Amino acid sequence: MLHPVLTLFLAISVVLVLAIALQRRFTAGYAEAPAGLAVLHKGEVAFIQAAAEVLFPDGAGLPVIGVDAHLPLYVDHHLSALPVAQRLQIRALLLAFEHLSLFLPAPAPGGRDRFSRLGPASRIAVLERVGSHWEPRVRILFTALRAVLAIGYLGHPANLRELGLAPFEIEPAVSDAELLFPRIGALPMSIRFEAGDRTDPVALGPLDPHGPRHRAYQRSSRDSR
Amino acid sequence: MSAEESAPREPEAADWLRAARERVRVFAQYDGPIEEQADVVVVGSGPCGAVAAYELARAGKDVILLEEGPPFTVRDFELDGNLSMTRTMREGGLRMTRGTTMPTMQAVALGGGSLVNSAICVRPPDPVFERWATGFDLERTDRAHLDPHFDAIAEFLGIAPTPDAVQGRRNLLFRDACRALGVESEPIARNVTGCRGSGECFTGCRSRAKQSMDVSYVPAALRAGARVMTSLQVQTIRHSGRRVTGVAGHAVVPFSGGRRAGQTHRFRIDAKAVVLAAGCTATPVLLRQSGNLANRSGQVGRNLQFHPGVAIAGVFPDQVDPQFGATQGYQSLAFLAEGFKLETLWAPPPLLSMRLPGMGPELQARYAELPRTAVWDAIVSANRSLGELRTRPWSSNPVLEWRLHPDDLAIVRRALHVIAQLFFAAGASKILPGVYGVAEEMTSADQARVLDSPAVRPENLVMAGNHVFCTTRMHGDPTRGVVDEDGRCHDLENLYIADTGIFPQCPSVNPMWTGMALARRQALSLAERF
Repeated sequence: MLHPVLTLFLAISVVLVLAIALQRRFTAGYAEAPAGLAVLHKGEVAFIQAAAEVLFPDGAGLPVIGVDAHLPLYVDHHLSALPVAQRLQIRALLLAFEHLSLFLPAPAPGGRDRFSRLGPASRIAVLERVGSHWEPRVRILFTALRAVLAIGYLGHPANLRELGLAPFEIEPAVSDAELLFPRIGALPMSIRFEAGDRTDPVALGPLDPHGPRHRAYQRSSRDSR
Repeated sequence: MSAEESAPREPEAADWLRAARERVRVFAQYDGPIEEQADVVVVGSGPCGAVAAYELARAGKDVILLEEGPPFTVRDFELDGNLSMTRTMREGGLRMTRGTTMPTMQAVALGGGSLVNSAICVRPPDPVFERWATGFDLERTDRAHLDPHFDAIAEFLGIAPTPDAVQGRRNLLFRDACRALGVESEPIARNVTGCRGSGECFTGCRSRAKQSMDVSYVPAALRAGARVMTSLQVQTIRHSGRRVTGVAGHAVVPFSGGRRAGQTHRFRIDAKAVVLAAGCTATPVLLRQSGNLANRSGQVGRNLQFHPGVAIAGVFPDQVDPQFGATQGYQSLAFLAEGFKLETLWAPPPLLSMRLPGMGPELQARYAELPRTAVWDAIVSANRSLGELRTRPWSSNPVLEWRLHPDDLAIVRRALHVIAQLFFAAGASKILPGVYGVAEEMTSADQARVLDSPAVRPENLVMAGNHVFCTTRMHGDPTRGVVDEDGRCHDLENLYIADTGIFPQCPSVNPMWTGMALARRQALSLAERF
């Protein structure tokens, strides 16, 4: 029978060790997140960049690689626009992947470390384990993560422009909708169009398949959009 | 009458515009509780609701058209497909079915789904209506009775086949593939006038060539005297005995679907009749949350059906330039008897990229092939795959339970194989079937045989279910359906439903035109009754 003081000391020690381990696992050692993010935590930023580095690496022919595609900024923008429930789902997905290596470790020393601390080869191994898992509900996590990041990566203006897949430059039309409704958030008195401003798409004819692309995609940086 | 005589003179046009603008309400105008009266309130401004509002207003009724979403002008469109969905779709475009997991969407914008669909208009073939008539005790829901309504809508919207000049190569390759295999195909008829081939139907037509409801039927309803109130979410259908007395709810902040203290005022509209056109997945929620209204049959929310869609990407040896061309320009109805319809498809490339397999350099190499890629899809008439819609506490968004039936899975497999054959007939160097458990890339029609085999399982498919049906189905027998052939609820004298929820079964083809034809018939009937 241990002395009560010793028992208390041991219990406090165990709690402290656990707290330190959890703190080290979940919050310690992350670099500060870039300024201007509305939703993402620094741990989520670190995860996104770590995933982007292996999903969209250098040397594959596209002008912008994953870590330069401002994916945290894009994901943050996307999350800000989502309803709360869907925002939580995506944040839970990011958190799950950051720590999934606890259950699906990379086959290397330290393979259970959090995703953003793993080396590139170990990160690829974890993603492959999830993506090829026998259980479809696990596999779908990988599909979802890749979708969240791929949309932002391929949607980078420079990548779309390079592939010739950027939207066309089109002069905004004026239809009955523009005559009747204000821009979202504005009052009707802000409508500046009159009946004579209405445009006729028939008169404009088909676009040139190789014609100019939208000006927002002529720039190289996501920041400048 | 000459064109000059028929065109309104400028002062007349200005008068109309001024009067119509005064009948529109947007979120920024709401500064206190709202109370209105009308003959008819139409809930939902998608294709069915907009047609109903227009026809009722034209018949001299005092109509209020309610819409939960905001009106979009061209400058409100978002070119990024992902961000566009967060603005135009319920649940930010991330709604999924449970059971067989599949994304499904519901637009929330003035004009509903017509703002962000590809404008496909197809009349269901006779066998569809024959199934409906015999299986659901319907006497007047056939081509003979509905063709006048289809025709009237076609004339109003200028529905016409997609011209070759805006097909683009990815659509014409499909035509050539069909010819090579002796499969009938045709340009898709659409409610589009003056398409420029920008391929951006899904993010909103910046050319305003697409005759979505916000540029066609809604302005026409306003011209006929209707009032349009946007950013108002109906939460309750008010009723007394066998009659409904109106609707109530609150304003919602655009894009949030939610409230903001001091800005999201309550509203109440009293009406002699209510037309629910909130959509197949929203109307049942409203009925359930209004005291399980119109549900003596127990069918509200049941019989949920989809047209699950599957697609294959085909990579060609030379440039396809897929960004140019009608979003969906060509189709084949040759396999309708087998249970599927084939179409061409394009979407914002980042959205398409979601289904490309792999990661790292392999994935990026596939992105680099997108300029040589076309995507063709099949929608499957999955009328054996029945699901159920359930409500969630404190939410206007439903839970959708649905599973792909083994017989319908067989149709999916067959459709995938046919698409693969078409790609190789068109000269594709490889295809990406997007099915887990089979080769990520296939380079011959022979290799693609596996797509029509048990290797293709429901959990291995990437499907989408954007046509939703039957949750308030029409049935001649009040114990087996929710509404009659005029869309009137069996249980109530003055509550109508006008959306694809009333379809007795999935129609095998894109449903917009059929829904509008049914809505037009209902509106004319309702106008006579009141």
